[in-house]
Amino acid sequence: MKIALIGQPNSGKSTIFNSVAGYKSVTSNLPGTTVNYTESRVRLNGNIYDLVDFPGTYSLSSTNEAEAEVSKYLLWSKFDLIINVIDASQLGRSLPLTLELLELKIPIILALNMIDEATRKGISIDTEKLSRILGTRVQSTVASKNLGIRDLFISAKQVIENGSESQLIHCQRDVEEVILEMDGFIREKFSGVISHPSRYIAIKLLEDDEYYRSLLIRQNGTELSRKIEDLQKKLVELRGKPQDSVMLLERHAMAMDIYRQTVQLGTPRQDWREKLDDLLMHRIGGYFILVLVLLAFFYGVFQIGALLEGILLSGFAAIEELLSSYMQPGRFTFQLLKSILWGISGGLAIVLPYLLPFLVGLNLLEDVGYLSRVAFLMDALMHKIGLHGTAIIPAVLGYGCNVPAVMATRILPSRRDKIIAAVIASMVPCSARSIVILGLVAFYLGPLWAFGVYLLNIVMVAGSGKVLSLLMPEVTPGMILEIPSYRWPALRVIGHKTWFRIKEFVVVAWPILIAGSVLLGLLEYFELDRYVNAGLSPLTALLGLPAVVGTTLIFGVLRKELALIMLTQAIGTTEILTVLTQQQILTFTIFITFYIPCVATMAVLSRELNRSLMIGIILFSLLLAFFLALLVNQLGNLFF
Amino acid sequence: MKSLLEIPAHTTVKIVSVSGGKRSRQMLTQMGISIGSLIKIKRNAPFAGPLLLENHGAAVAIGRGVAARIMVEEI
Repeated sequence: MKIALIGQPNSGKSTIFNSVAGYKSVTSNLPGTTVNYTESRVRLNGNIYDLVDFPGTYSLSSTNEAEAEVSKYLLWSKFDLIINVIDASQLGRSLPLTLELLELKIPIILALNMIDEATRKGISIDTEKLSRILGTRVQSTVASKNLGIRDLFISAKQVIENGSESQLIHCQRDVEEVILEMDGFIREKFSGVISHPSRYIAIKLLEDDEYYRSLLIRQNGTELSRKIEDLQKKLVELRGKPQDSVMLLERHAMAMDIYRQTVQLGTPRQDWREKLDDLLMHRIGGYFILVLVLLAFFYGVFQIGALLEGILLSGFAAIEELLSSYMQPGRFTFQLLKSILWGISGGLAIVLPYLLPFLVGLNLLEDVGYLSRVAFLMDALMHKIGLHGTAIIPAVLGYGCNVPAVMATRILPSRRDKIIAAVIASMVPCSARSIVILGLVAFYLGPLWAFGVYLLNIVMVAGSGKVLSLLMPEVTPGMILEIPSYRWPALRVIGHKTWFRIKEFVVVAWPILIAGSVLLGLLEYFELDRYVNAGLSPLTALLGLPAVVGTTLIFGVLRKELALIMLTQAIGTTEILTVLTQQQILTFTIFITFYIPCVATMAVLSRELNRSLMIGIILFSLLLAFFLALLVNQLGNLFF
Repeated sequence: MKSLLEIPAHTTVKIVSVSGGKRSRQMLTQMGISIGSLIKIKRNAPFAGPLLLENHGAAVAIGRGVAARIMVEEI
């Protein structure tokens, strides 16, 4: 049995999904973060369901990529039930989607999520009446606290077994007649062609839906487009509203009507949230706090990371000493074991100490709702580089990992914005690059230097954004972004989310790391690394780096943190200062931070944009990294 | 009738018309900002950053370019 979880962005679908499915979908307090479907087989009350978490969508129209995919997937794969997740405090705004879903003739139940939040805002919903009007079951839930979820799935099971009793909500008679005429026309002319509900197609065609238009126009083009045009004209006459939004506005009017019948508004409880916003979104103080938050964040990550790294590294050093007392250094087995050990210690002692606090911190900021405030604060600044505040979201997500960041550029309305935002997102130092920055620059030069690297990166990112937006002059629609309420971070969710991303490192990256370490050990043993280093020596020499770091630059393309671990491997010690000067450390880090996005990011760039843009980004980043590193190498003489 | 840009903070207004591209009009409607809606302006700092609107307890940030295309009347 297949169940779809559908709802508007930030309504809590992913939280519901995760509370039954274990941790598969990444939730956040940020609109538009689920850009892929997540599927899971779950066992509930003795039944097995295939549960699919859909990306947040405001409607089923195909005006943006994410929404277009939702409706296609929904109709083409057979679903037994839709769970429509609604943010209870936003009922009026959520019902238009519900009305569209009802048209699909798939059984549906409503989950009124975050009901506690609605109560706080003084909104009380007559769920029985709502259930009567829509003919669907309505279950109140608080997914973050796991309330009502069990009942929700019991209802789901019953509806699947007994069939649904949901009903269509008809428009006002004059508009309804137009829909019926379109419906009749489709049934008459295209009955054999399509399996979707004809009334739904009729409405979508009246809305100029690209997907159905192109699907049907091939069959009976001229007659169909004439019919659509006639009826659209009629709608405009009836309602006096722009043709492209008559149906949308009609649905909203119907939704507001249901809203008025079922909702009673009391006085919202004033609380700390309002006051907090006055402070955090203040037009001067807000920026001040933003800088403080970021400083505190990176400083905290560094302190915890450095502490753990120190302890763990000395532990591994002891193991290595033990190893060398049993075995002859320089022997093949010793070299092999040492490489494996270094691969393990690289992951455990160098990456995880920073990755863990970094992810917990980022997830915390995301979950409490601070990130969309950042978008709000950054809007004015983003305009200076030809973008708007929404584009900051992929960029901020990029600090975690560039891959989801590039995928999140789908929330941007135009292709031009998407391209620029993707370039920016791929330049942001992800957690892997942060590990290099923190593990090298902060550890050996001090936290302030690391902050300087981040600052330089921001300047470069902004500069690149500006250049790109000058190259692609086009008026962008501007920011329209929901600012979610602050939420207490649910530790369960943050823990899950952090674990989800850590697991990815442990399962995917760590094995590569150990394999890479062994490979490098073997290269060294057979003295083959000389050739790689010799090949790269023109580059390393120009940057004032020792030739031994050549191989690490190759590994860094696979995963950025590999560069750091391979560095200790390549120079043969974890005491990096004995081999590299501070200036060389800085040059190396700058080069690693800016050069070539990692393989995974390349793949997603190629998929989201296209291959030639991806190659362009690679070349651009290589050039930028080279010049910046060269500059640091030259200017470094002034500082060190 | 004024554009949303001219309305000071802490005022409630009724939306009279929304112009601009199809996509941004749709996004606004989906966030509950369309003809006839009552919107409270929570924040509007002249020449500085986006506006913050409130609509049934939901907060929506819109850029100044978008706000300039929304005509409202004070109530």
